[in-house]
Amino acid sequence: MLTTTGVADNNLIQRCLPSPSRRALRPYPVIECFQKIPCNPCSTSCPFHAILPMDSIHDIPVLDFEKCTGCGACARVCPGLAIFIIDESRGDGTGSVTLPYEFCSLPQKGEIVSTMNRAGYVVGEGTVIRVSAGKTSGTPLVTLSVPIEQVHDVRFFCSKKDTDQLVSKDGAEINTDKFINSEGVDDEAMICRCEGITRREICELIAEGYTTVDEIKRISRAGMGPCQARTCGPLIADEIARMTGQPRDSILPSMHRPPVIAQPISFFTGGDEK
Amino acid sequence: MNLPKTASVVIVGGGISGCAIAWNLAHRGVKDIVLVEKDTLSNGSTGRCGAGIRMQWGAEMNCHLAQYSVRFFENANETLEYERDIEFKQNGYLIVAANVREAAQFKKNVELQNRLGISSVYLSPQEAHKIVPIIDTSQFVAATFCPEDGHLNPFHTTEAFAQSAERLGVKIFKHTEVTGIDVSLGRIRAVETSRGRISTNTVVVAAGGWSKEIGAMAGVNIPIYVQRHQILVTEPMEPVFGPMVMGFDFNIYIQQVPHGSILMGRSDDTEPRDFRISSGWRFVEEMTKTCSRLLPALSQVNIIRQWSGHYCMTGDAQPIYGPVPEVEGMYLACGFSGHGFMLAPATGQLITDMILGEPLTIDVSNLDVGRFKRGELVFESSVV
Repeated sequence: MLTTTGVADNNLIQRCLPSPSRRALRPYPVIECFQKIPCNPCSTSCPFHAILPMDSIHDIPVLDFEKCTGCGACARVCPGLAIFIIDESRGDGTGSVTLPYEFCSLPQKGEIVSTMNRAGYVVGEGTVIRVSAGKTSGTPLVTLSVPIEQVHDVRFFCSKKDTDQLVSKDGAEINTDKFINSEGVDDEAMICRCEGITRREICELIAEGYTTVDEIKRISRAGMGPCQARTCGPLIADEIARMTGQPRDSILPSMHRPPVIAQPISFFTGGDEK
Repeated sequence: MNLPKTASVVIVGGGISGCAIAWNLAHRGVKDIVLVEKDTLSNGSTGRCGAGIRMQWGAEMNCHLAQYSVRFFENANETLEYERDIEFKQNGYLIVAANVREAAQFKKNVELQNRLGISSVYLSPQEAHKIVPIIDTSQFVAATFCPEDGHLNPFHTTEAFAQSAERLGVKIFKHTEVTGIDVSLGRIRAVETSRGRISTNTVVVAAGGWSKEIGAMAGVNIPIYVQRHQILVTEPMEPVFGPMVMGFDFNIYIQQVPHGSILMGRSDDTEPRDFRISSGWRFVEEMTKTCSRLLPALSQVNIIRQWSGHYCMTGDAQPIYGPVPEVEGMYLACGFSGHGFMLAPATGQLITDMILGEPLTIDVSNLDVGRFKRGELVFESSVV
């Protein structure tokens, strides 16, 4: 499952896909972004406004596939390298996967490469049909031609000569049932990324009677890390509101303190240490 | 849980002192104890403090109080049956002397401490360097070190006392503010709170900086004032140094906690003497300057937060322990002047001694509230 292995499973991927008719029509992006993190470049990148504006920087992107042309502008700006452009409309038994690629050196057009799935296992071969390095900024995009049935598996590649060093294995389906609670929310989701505190741990503390953001912070360290609760603070307040039935607006955040951004000690001494 | 209508003892304040007193009373057989806290546990000075504990003091009584507390903390997880961890790490305190005057005082302190069975040693800068390899030996003239001094997690330590007290029957009410104290004919009758009235004969004021306000509700003037103190913390990193490094003339205490963050604090007599807990710019400038001077290797470590809290100060920077002469049934445990966290086990023990009318475990009779009127202040040289 995503939070224990880092690998998204088929259930999650299916939720990202457009209708079958749209899939057959033209290329489309698959945005494999599953956790609420403070990140929004995709939502302002689309020239066609197909990624809907976000209310909060923590929102997960929502895509209007009818507006989307599959141009790939969003894939170029996603810092998490989580957006892929899939083309199932070629009609020749092949599909293409366009993926962000941040390594040197870039592959050559026409090169045959070993394709890999999300877990890093080799699943077959593909042909590089396009390399788009981006003229000014953004992540280079590499388009691979692959058998059409593999367009939802292939997410990376390596050169053929490196393949021997890799273990080839079928990507086994991972059972997610035990990690999903009755409300369909992932209990093992990381709420505080700095300190590694999961939603389950937060909920256990709330159940014990720690019903303020500050108390949970003191007991668990959630929010004490380098990001200073910028991500986890609102998420913890959400959980408190949900479990206690208090209005969300009444849950106070923990106090924000300087510095706004972490700074080295030497920044404050300004080099004059006498 | 409804607020009880009566209690044998009402403790005001859910910091480390109040929780330790509650636990001690219950542990020694007192029933029907109620603790009221206007916010959440350890929300005041306790949760904002540096949470170090040292036995290296300059006055004999303080050495005894600290020794008692260290011995308690060494077994506190077991004694209090705490399912988490109070994180007591005994990596020592290295106290550095900025000048020969301080060094001479330190020499005397070590003699006193050794006589009382405290294993402190007097060190040259080179010897100190072996204990803290990143310290700049050119900046100080001598040091003292006691390996049994240490550091705790203040939140978990408070929780450990509170949870054990609750298992012994103490009723703890968070978000419950004291609004009045009913005194008649010189005796405590009841405590009025935001959630109702509790009739009682005995009130313990352990409300830290707010103790003066609580005292005033009973017509008692407690001679204390609050002062803001600030701390900053860095990102967590691999272990760099073990002990708390402290200097009185340097005006610094700095420690890497087990989690990896480095905490440092200082005093500033120009800090506001009111309930402000805002953060100030000058603190960071002065703090980082001292840190860079003494531990220059840390200059590239990132600061992620500064915060502030109160010292509850008295005229001699020593606590006020004991009954209030003019109001029967009122006991004070306040005015800790920055040392309330480390003294908490002794505080709990001694206030319980007094309430039960038993002989004092450590003689603190000179720390009564009357000493200020009598002009009998207690002297202690080793304070930041």
